[in-house]
Amino acid sequence: MKAATAVGRDNSLKALSRSINRPAITIAAIVLALALGAMRLPFLEYLRPVGDFYIALLQICVLPFLLATIPLAVRSAMASGSAPGVLKSLLFWVLMTVVAVAAVSVTIPSLFFSYALPDEQMMNNIGALLGRSADSVDVEFAIDARHAAEIKGAAEGGIFALIPTNIFASLSSNDSVRVLVFAAIFGVGMVLTERESGQSIFEALRHIQAVCVLIFDWFSLLVPIGIVALVAPQVARLGPDAFTALTFFAYPLLATGAVLLLAAPLFCAFALGASPGSVFGALLKPVMLGASTRNSLVCVPLALETLKNDLKVKDEPCDLYIPIGIATIRFGTILYFVIATLFMGTLMGRQFNVIDLGLLAVFSVGASFATIGLSGIAALAPLAIVLRPFGLSYEVAVPLMIIIDPLAEMVRTMLNVAINCMIPSLAGGRAAMPTTQSAQ
Amino acid sequence: MIVRTLCGAVALVSWIGLWNVPAVAQPSEAAAPRDLKSIVDAQVLRVALTRFDLPSFHVRGPDGRLFGPEIEMAQQIGGALGVGVEFIDSAESFDTVVDYVAVGRADIGVSKLSQTYNRLKRVRFSEPYVTLRHALLFNRLAIARVAAGRPPAVVLQKYAGRLGVIGGSAYVDFASRNFPDATVVEARNWDTAIENLLSGNVDALYRDEFEIRRVLKNKPALNVQLGSAVIVDQNALLSVAICDTCSKLQQFINYHIGVTRGAFTLKKLLDSDLGKSAR
Repeated sequence: MKAATAVGRDNSLKALSRSINRPAITIAAIVLALALGAMRLPFLEYLRPVGDFYIALLQICVLPFLLATIPLAVRSAMASGSAPGVLKSLLFWVLMTVVAVAAVSVTIPSLFFSYALPDEQMMNNIGALLGRSADSVDVEFAIDARHAAEIKGAAEGGIFALIPTNIFASLSSNDSVRVLVFAAIFGVGMVLTERESGQSIFEALRHIQAVCVLIFDWFSLLVPIGIVALVAPQVARLGPDAFTALTFFAYPLLATGAVLLLAAPLFCAFALGASPGSVFGALLKPVMLGASTRNSLVCVPLALETLKNDLKVKDEPCDLYIPIGIATIRFGTILYFVIATLFMGTLMGRQFNVIDLGLLAVFSVGASFATIGLSGIAALAPLAIVLRPFGLSYEVAVPLMIIIDPLAEMVRTMLNVAINCMIPSLAGGRAAMPTTQSAQ
Repeated sequence: MIVRTLCGAVALVSWIGLWNVPAVAQPSEAAAPRDLKSIVDAQVLRVALTRFDLPSFHVRGPDGRLFGPEIEMAQQIGGALGVGVEFIDSAESFDTVVDYVAVGRADIGVSKLSQTYNRLKRVRFSEPYVTLRHALLFNRLAIARVAAGRPPAVVLQKYAGRLGVIGGSAYVDFASRNFPDATVVEARNWDTAIENLLSGNVDALYRDEFEIRRVLKNKPALNVQLGSAVIVDQNALLSVAICDTCSKLQQFINYHIGVTRGAFTLKKLLDSDLGKSAR
């Protein structure tokens, strides 16, 4: 009797969560947030702590969820013997998607920048923003080497940024990428030892996963409030000066972003044989959570739930790909780096031929991987890898990108979530049987 | 006979020519060095200035009247001495202002003059009334190209390209000392130097922090194309040039600068609208 009551309460909570997170309510919350942000009302700053509190709540269960989900996904794939096929299919679609996103990211903005040129007024406004942001001096150096400031090397990165040398340090510092790598390696080890000894803690992990999903459901009730509290102050931060400078950058970013954001649900719908409207409505939840939190990893539980429960995508590719894909393959960053480079090139009078555009796409993809483990302004550092081969100044770009970032970070995260959600759909397709995992 | 007549004529013309060469060109013709007492006796302090405006320092009004903080400083010194001030504002370059003081055509010179080793061989300088850091205005694209992925400071520190300076300014000396690998290109004036930079004749200009920042402040659009770099260990000590033997006058001016300390600051200079429209 008690168990039945608990299940009923759980189902009613899920029903309430689904009701609150309907596409219509999500869209209404976004429109309200944008309208409030555009009005730049002073009280919006008081919403910022509310938004930060909401993100903190969401982050509570992200790492435990990843630690439980990835070994379970590894076990599921290895037990069924389908792992090689699933991995091969995922790898194929990842490569195809990266190439397609890079091609679209280069094509649309380069067409825009070849026809649109900044006028004198815009150059003055951008120059004024630059002068102010850089505190009027770009570089300081000393002639006498003894007085010269030590030139700092690049931050530790590359392959070393992936190795979890101390998993407890990674967990305590919220270093999600190293946690992911650890979980994947540990998952393989657990499966192999389970085969030898017959003992495992997979049931316990499944329980941890269910607990995390439940906690996430509680916090999902606050999604509309979170969207307003996070998006409105962010939009309000873009002052009129920034808008003037933004126009030239924002048009290609928003236009190309919109194309990619529409393409992702369309391809999903095609792969799943579902109606584009229903797929768009379902993906809206994780994508908008990404837009409001500007944190891709926070969206992992909701993205998995949406794909597996709402869109009925096969579990294996979702569990295997979504946590790792969202953390490591940053499609939004590829687009962002391409547009930032074309934008700076146009400002500085640099022309890009077809070979340059090809190289730009390659460099942007490479640099997007260098942002793994970084977020916010720190994630701009690898932009230097893209700008400098074209003789463009990273030092000029950074102050401008910081001004633009409140908007750009939202677009980047939305693209990361939406396009990564598309890949398991293409690789796995629709599940033959409805999943029951969420009810376990 | 004809040859002898021609030689005689040439000698006569040369002699007349030499007799009429301005004092700047013939130090041997210099007036006797003076000091505080002779200036007070003459009831006039002769102040040399550049014949071109130096916005924020001294400029000419529509009626030709001079004004600006340097003019006020000279008038205050004259007032403290109890003598009138005569401005000799015909110097074609910064070095010429120093020349005027060196040869005795003026008692002091004020025109944003930096102390340099070469100048100190010929005149005294007061304590600096403002100290500005040396700075570069550079073409971002050109420097980024040479930097090839390294920070621009690495290239600028050992700059080896074409470096623009104003001819007859202290920065000719500074450039050869601080950037020995660079090709120094002297421009007639600051506007020409900026044109050289914008047209690609040079990739960097060398002057003080005030002038570099002033260019970008007055035309913000240039921030995109041009970057500014400050050299943290090189200072321009802007001082009053004083005749080489005028030790008492130097002491007097140092005292005045000491009691009016703060009259010139980088912020005040940058915020000043003096001469903004003239340039």
